[in-house]
Amino acid sequence: MGKNKKYLAVQIIAHVILIIGAFTMLVPFFWMLSSSLKSLGEVFVFPPKLFGERLVWENYTHISGRFNYFNYFMNSVKVSVWVVFFQVMTSASAGFVFAKLNFPGRDKIFLLYLGTMMIPFHVTVITNYLQMSRYGLVNTLWSLMLPASVSAFGTFLMRQFFITVPSELIDAAKIDGCNPLMIFFRIALPLAKSTIATLCIFCFMNVWNDYFTPLIYLNNDRKYTLPLGLARMKGMYSTDWPVLMAASVIAVLPVLIAFLFAQDAFVKGVMMSGLKD
Amino acid sequence: MKLKKMISKVMAAAMVLSAMSMGTMVHAEETVELTFMGWEASPLETKAVEDGIAAFEAEYPNIKVTYTPGLAGAEYNAKILTSAAAGALPDVMFVAAESYRQIAGAGALMELTDMFDSNYSFDDFIESSRTIMDIDGHVYGISSCTVSPIIYYNKDVFDAAGVPYPSSDPAECWTIDEFREVAKSLTTEDVYGIYGLETVQDTLNAQLLSNGGARYNEDFTESIINSPESKEVFETIKAIRVEDGSAPDATTLDAVGMSAAQMLETGKVAMLCDGSWALQELAASGMNIGMAPLPSYGEVLTTGQAHLHCISSTTAHPEEAWQFLQFLSGMDYQGALCKSGLWMPNRYSMYEGEQLEGWYDESVHGDSYRPMLDYFMNAKVDPAALQKSAQARDILMEESDMYFKMDQDIDTTLANIDSRINAAIKDAMAE
Amino acid sequence: MRGSKKAGKLKDDSRWAWLMLAPNIIGFFMFMLVPVVATFVISFFKYDMLTPPKFIGLTNYITMFHDPIVWQVTRNTLIYTLITVPVGMAISLVLAVMLDQKIAFRRFYRAAFFLPSITSMVVVAIVWQWLYNPEFGLINYFLSLFGIKGPKWLLNAHTSLLSLAIVGIWKNAGYNMIIFLSGLQGISTSYYEAAKLDGAGTWQQFRYITLPLLTPTTFFIFVMAVIGSFQVFDQVMLMTEGGPGRSSSVLVHYLYQNAFQYFKLGYACAIAYLLFFIIMAITIFNMRMEKKMRDVY
Repeated sequence: MGKNKKYLAVQIIAHVILIIGAFTMLVPFFWMLSSSLKSLGEVFVFPPKLFGERLVWENYTHISGRFNYFNYFMNSVKVSVWVVFFQVMTSASAGFVFAKLNFPGRDKIFLLYLGTMMIPFHVTVITNYLQMSRYGLVNTLWSLMLPASVSAFGTFLMRQFFITVPSELIDAAKIDGCNPLMIFFRIALPLAKSTIATLCIFCFMNVWNDYFTPLIYLNNDRKYTLPLGLARMKGMYSTDWPVLMAASVIAVLPVLIAFLFAQDAFVKGVMMSGLKD
Repeated sequence: MKLKKMISKVMAAAMVLSAMSMGTMVHAEETVELTFMGWEASPLETKAVEDGIAAFEAEYPNIKVTYTPGLAGAEYNAKILTSAAAGALPDVMFVAAESYRQIAGAGALMELTDMFDSNYSFDDFIESSRTIMDIDGHVYGISSCTVSPIIYYNKDVFDAAGVPYPSSDPAECWTIDEFREVAKSLTTEDVYGIYGLETVQDTLNAQLLSNGGARYNEDFTESIINSPESKEVFETIKAIRVEDGSAPDATTLDAVGMSAAQMLETGKVAMLCDGSWALQELAASGMNIGMAPLPSYGEVLTTGQAHLHCISSTTAHPEEAWQFLQFLSGMDYQGALCKSGLWMPNRYSMYEGEQLEGWYDESVHGDSYRPMLDYFMNAKVDPAALQKSAQARDILMEESDMYFKMDQDIDTTLANIDSRINAAIKDAMAE
Repeated sequence: MRGSKKAGKLKDDSRWAWLMLAPNIIGFFMFMLVPVVATFVISFFKYDMLTPPKFIGLTNYITMFHDPIVWQVTRNTLIYTLITVPVGMAISLVLAVMLDQKIAFRRFYRAAFFLPSITSMVVVAIVWQWLYNPEFGLINYFLSLFGIKGPKWLLNAHTSLLSLAIVGIWKNAGYNMIIFLSGLQGISTSYYEAAKLDGAGTWQQFRYITLPLLTPTTFFIFVMAVIGSFQVFDQVMLMTEGGPGRSSSVLVHYLYQNAFQYFKLGYACAIAYLLFFIIMAITIFNMRMEKKMRDVY
């Protein structure tokens, strides 16, 4: 009896805390949605109302002229697909090499990779900018895609996985006459599916939401990615909140949908990134 | 056999296709594409630029202009500089007066002196535009127009308060003391008398000059804002808010989430101090406004500056770019933007006779602007347009923020502005 | 015989290894190693991209130590870190512990907490700027229900940094919660069962089992959170641009301004290295601490 009561109390407390937490996390999103459907006059009302007189869908049509959503979206897709694909491929192949192939200097090189993981992104960004500028790639999507095609973190993550693959598996394949490249594609990659999924999600979240890199590299409206396009829109319509909220809603939509469909994959991805050793 | 036939057919088709594409390529070479970059301060401004480009393309069917708006203010200047460094400047571009010298100095802009002299009379340009355009006898861009800070007022608020409108004749403009009184008398529980005396660098500079203060020494190598004259201006502006209560807190605009124009429009402020460019938006809103010169601290004056239209030194199409530049300086373009209220003309000849009637629009400029024409024409060049360091704008803003919004005392503020800007100038000039 | 075979294999591996490493190594070399070194070299130059670089020795570093703005942005960055990291971690831990039990709507809660961390900071900035609006914002309305007159948040120099920190906490809480959760799930239930037999209460179990066994996870999150908060930029740039005055400017924001607005690239590179050294010092200190803590438990 007493135990049950206590259990109930704990559950109630937990739910109260969790509900407050969930409320805090979700209210901004609801508020974004509701503000995006108000007229300009209705957002300047105190106390604030949940909804306006009617739903002002015009806010959404109004942005179409200025907010080249499709354009930004496609740029974001291009960059993300490229970066995810190449980062995963370069990380997986290098991770495999570092874990399973023997060659002189291997561990020293890997240590170099490890060492750079601590270096803040901003240490490299200025010189990378100068490089891109010398190659004439500033203001092209290449400036976002090329430097991100390789990742020390990704290489590390993949190596940590491949280390756990039994060497007997590799050796057996070698005896069957497979070269390391074949082993990598036929044996190692299929085994690494879940780690690769983790890296994909991780990489995608970073690239898709990146604001800093496009900010410094891009200056042409036709090249903008979604976050930069939205940030520019914010500068222009600084006081037209309903329109800004409408743009925000449609900007957040793709990731939201992806998340709702693949919640477990997302969560698992983050969990794995946190695993040490 | 069959396969061979098919291959030859495919080959033939491929040859025809490639010949066709060659044909279109030859055709494509006839049209020259110019890239053109500008900033987007407001949707109305971009619309005006796009209309202008359409008119130009209709006139020159062989030239296609691709316009890229997008950035504004300091970020735009930065992008121009980085593009210059990368050798990736557009063919034609806006260059803000305050970064013109730096970019031209780096050799990124095509020198236009000869072409300019054979098509335009330098002396026809108003003094402030001339001073900005001219770099030791050379010209690297054509002044687009001129803009100057002025006072806008909501006539309805004045009527309701029974206060007479200000005179738009500069000879009869308010002294700062008279202005304070008027602002006070217009202030009620719902209405503030004035907004914008310190928010834009231009308006602050104009007031400093009016009181006999200065931002820089003669050759702009030293910041000399720390003077009793400047101090008086800063203190007056703050007193209007704190003592008189006739100006809203400097953060009010952000706090209520309205633009300055919306504040004036909705009658939340009776008067607004802002650049002449604001007239386009205000006039388009259809509200009942009037315009007047800035209150005088001693000398009646305003400042003038504007961006320049420049050609990249690396352009592949200098002739077409020059044609486009001339179009941008002509009545069809500059005139149209002046007519909309966004710009003021930068040539003496445009302030008289037929040319004046060509752009002066009663429905936009009302009757206020006629007595003010000399005021714009004789505007003092805005010191910010000639400053040596790109950092100066941010420094002035940060430190004046500290004074206006955060109670840093005035002497520290002015001393900080000088010492920080001087360090920046020293750094910019050190070779 | 055997030895020679092994040597042959090693040689084979070496060729394949370099072939498979090539794309990664080339990219790593071009976009990571070279920039790290080049940034260090440029920090001894005065360079504005437009004119040739000029060697000025340690001048940038000397200027940096005399630049009051550098001190202020470092202080701001530190304050931001001191607010976001402990508070954020505490919230994440509480949420994780709550979710680590059999509880209804677990998936819903988890999704709700995680949502902010997958949302673009640009969207977050726009929404929160509106929430923070002193006159019409939801936050001050909420406070007014309790008779509190809310501050001006982003517009006031005393609260601007705090406001940004709250956004940072809100955005990252769910992410760290998930990592805590994975740490919690790694703790074997046998410990708790043994403790229950010994009559340990909920709090005691948490204090003497959960916390110690969670130490590696906690350190991991701590290090990542500190590194992350020292590199905060997006919300500063998007919500306050460092203002009012310099009250919410941070190291990376000042670096950005110097590099991409004032074109003092040499100086910006020196600031980048200052950031690097601060982060390195903190990380090394953390590693030492973790080792010590491990010895304690």
